[in-house]
Amino acid sequence: MFTYNFKYELKSLLRSKWLLLLSLTLLIVVLFAGYNGKEKVEKRVSGLERVTSEVKEKDNAMLKILDSFEKGIKTNQNPRTLPSAPMNVAYGYPRVAAIPAKALTFIATGQSDLFTHFVKPSVYGDSFSMDYTELANPVQLLFGTFDLAFVIIYILPLIIIAFSYNIFSEEKEYGSLKLLASQPISIYQWLLQKTALRFFWLTLITLVVIVITLLFFGFEFGSNFSSFIQLISLVVAYILFWFAVVLLVNILVNNSAKNAVSLLAIWVFVILIIPAVVGQMANVFYPIPSRTKMISEVRELKEELSKKQDKILDNFLRDHPEYATKNGTKNYSFWHKYTASQDLIEEELKPLIDSYETQLQKQQEWVKLWQYSSPAIIMQQSFNNLAHTSTAHYQEYRSQVAVFSKEWRNFFKPLLYSNKDFTTSMYKELPSFKYEAPKSNSVILKVVILLVFSLIFLSIGRQIFNKKIGKGSVIV
Amino acid sequence: MIKTSNLTKKYGDFTALENLNIEIKEGEILCLLGANGAGKSTTINLLLNFIAPTSGSAYINGLDVTKHPKKTKPYLTYIPENLMLYPTLTAIENLDYFLGIGGKSFSKTELRSFLGQAGLQEEAFEKRVQYFSKGMRQKVGIALAIAKEAKVLLLDEPTSGLDPKSSNEFGELLKNMKLANVAMLMATHDIFRAKEIGTHIGIMKEGVLKHHFLNDDITLQDLEKVYLETMTVNEEAL
Repeated sequence: MFTYNFKYELKSLLRSKWLLLLSLTLLIVVLFAGYNGKEKVEKRVSGLERVTSEVKEKDNAMLKILDSFEKGIKTNQNPRTLPSAPMNVAYGYPRVAAIPAKALTFIATGQSDLFTHFVKPSVYGDSFSMDYTELANPVQLLFGTFDLAFVIIYILPLIIIAFSYNIFSEEKEYGSLKLLASQPISIYQWLLQKTALRFFWLTLITLVVIVITLLFFGFEFGSNFSSFIQLISLVVAYILFWFAVVLLVNILVNNSAKNAVSLLAIWVFVILIIPAVVGQMANVFYPIPSRTKMISEVRELKEELSKKQDKILDNFLRDHPEYATKNGTKNYSFWHKYTASQDLIEEELKPLIDSYETQLQKQQEWVKLWQYSSPAIIMQQSFNNLAHTSTAHYQEYRSQVAVFSKEWRNFFKPLLYSNKDFTTSMYKELPSFKYEAPKSNSVILKVVILLVFSLIFLSIGRQIFNKKIGKGSVIV
Repeated sequence: MIKTSNLTKKYGDFTALENLNIEIKEGEILCLLGANGAGKSTTINLLLNFIAPTSGSAYINGLDVTKHPKKTKPYLTYIPENLMLYPTLTAIENLDYFLGIGGKSFSKTELRSFLGQAGLQEEAFEKRVQYFSKGMRQKVGIALAIAKEAKVLLLDEPTSGLDPKSSNEFGELLKNMKLANVAMLMATHDIFRAKEIGTHIGIMKEGVLKHHFLNDDITLQDLEKVYLETMTVNEEAL
């Protein structure tokens, strides 16, 4: 039976132009999504390249000045901004702390359009509480970004529904089911084979289209083979899930119009309602304090502390006698006071920052816990992880920047207090930032969960089919 | 070949078929006459095991259709009122498909021969059936029976909606099948066609087989009279 089903299902699909239409639609949509994602990544990469080259140019100029200064050659450099003064380097020559784009970053925008992907944490500023763009296109916020993740999670199920909503009901309504059922075959097996063949063709087309898109946008399969396999496994499992739903609805409802409405209702529920409810619940249970309020509180606290800078410096020098000079505090500059107050400021701000970060983390844990309530959440989380654009990635980046910021300041502090110059030989010792991605969980568990969902639906479908056959309501 | 024993089908309080006892041997055609809802199609659906009987049994070639559905189906071919084939496939492809899924494989020449024997014009063999008339589709059904070497043919109002010429052609095909010793059960509203091709004629009403004649024992006029009388009894009672 399978050979005949395979041969004639393919002939029917080709002659009805379904496969052609499906392939073209998917190719256009996926290529467009790939283009959108790639454009964002390229903008990000070029921005980073620009900043890195600016830093390099500035460093070269600085090294020239330092070299002249060390050789006693006069330069036109303003004495107040000479890089021999450590705090001038600490403030004026910051390093770039970036979260680089990965091979699959273009498949899912994730949090990358909300958070900045590079900063230049200087000795002065709020690098620990990195700014992020709060202004975004409201239409984009509503519908999300048209990237590959969006196409797979939102559009692909609609294509599956359009392709197969009447896979069984059509046979009954058209009248061919009776002729089929009068043959010595099991109708359930026949239906399963027909669904499996549709699943096969749609999966094949989707995978080919994805591979074309990846190739088109320069994805290197060799060095990113594991990510590619994970991506493909997720897509196949997700398609299988939707075909299992389609099969179940066809068996349960078995009326083309009602099937279409039921499947669309399921799509709305799984793709829109459940994720929205999970997100909303996260906000209700773990509300994040206002970012604006937090920034305003940070400023207030800083202002308050800045008024007490002399006292803070006294305390600091008491704690760090190695930095104290014989002349007391009167010769200490702004930078002495500022750097001395930074640890205290950070200490005072920690609970405020933590309240924000902790709530954000709790929200993430909540979503992680409830992600299995909807395959759409599973997929979005997995795609963001593969693309390195998840909230966890950006949280990790923020914390690494905060650590680096401190490291940068602490590098210059001894020079400042010991009144030493910054020299060309110290340049190589300057701290540099290297982002370490958090350990991501493999997608295997998520793929398995999607497969379990599919098997449950297939098994329920089988039970219902058997019951209906017993009642005689399948064929007639 | 076809036998029912006290075959009954009830839907709640409604009795669709009550204690039907018929036997159709090789080369016999039983034409079941009756109004809509008389139980003709229910009988066929029970013989095909599309629905389960409430009580009684149905047999094809001596096998209980409920207990051995897959074993009985190779022996039979079913031609419904509207034989719906796959519109994007040609006549040959449709025939190949329906035979193939049932485990029978034939060469293209053989398939052409079956269609030819069923009376389908040669130029239609490679045409998609979406352009076929009802009569042409019914011929593909007959070709299916010929290819399967079916011993039983179940026909549910196969000539309704056919033009007189096509209906006549179809009748001739059934007569040929009769000569090939096929047992046939045909549900129909057409008294004249029943009298023309049936070896036996039954009249059903409200799920009960009211009359059963040997064709030779009754004239067309008498058959028509009995049929009309049977149909009007209840109306008078009302």
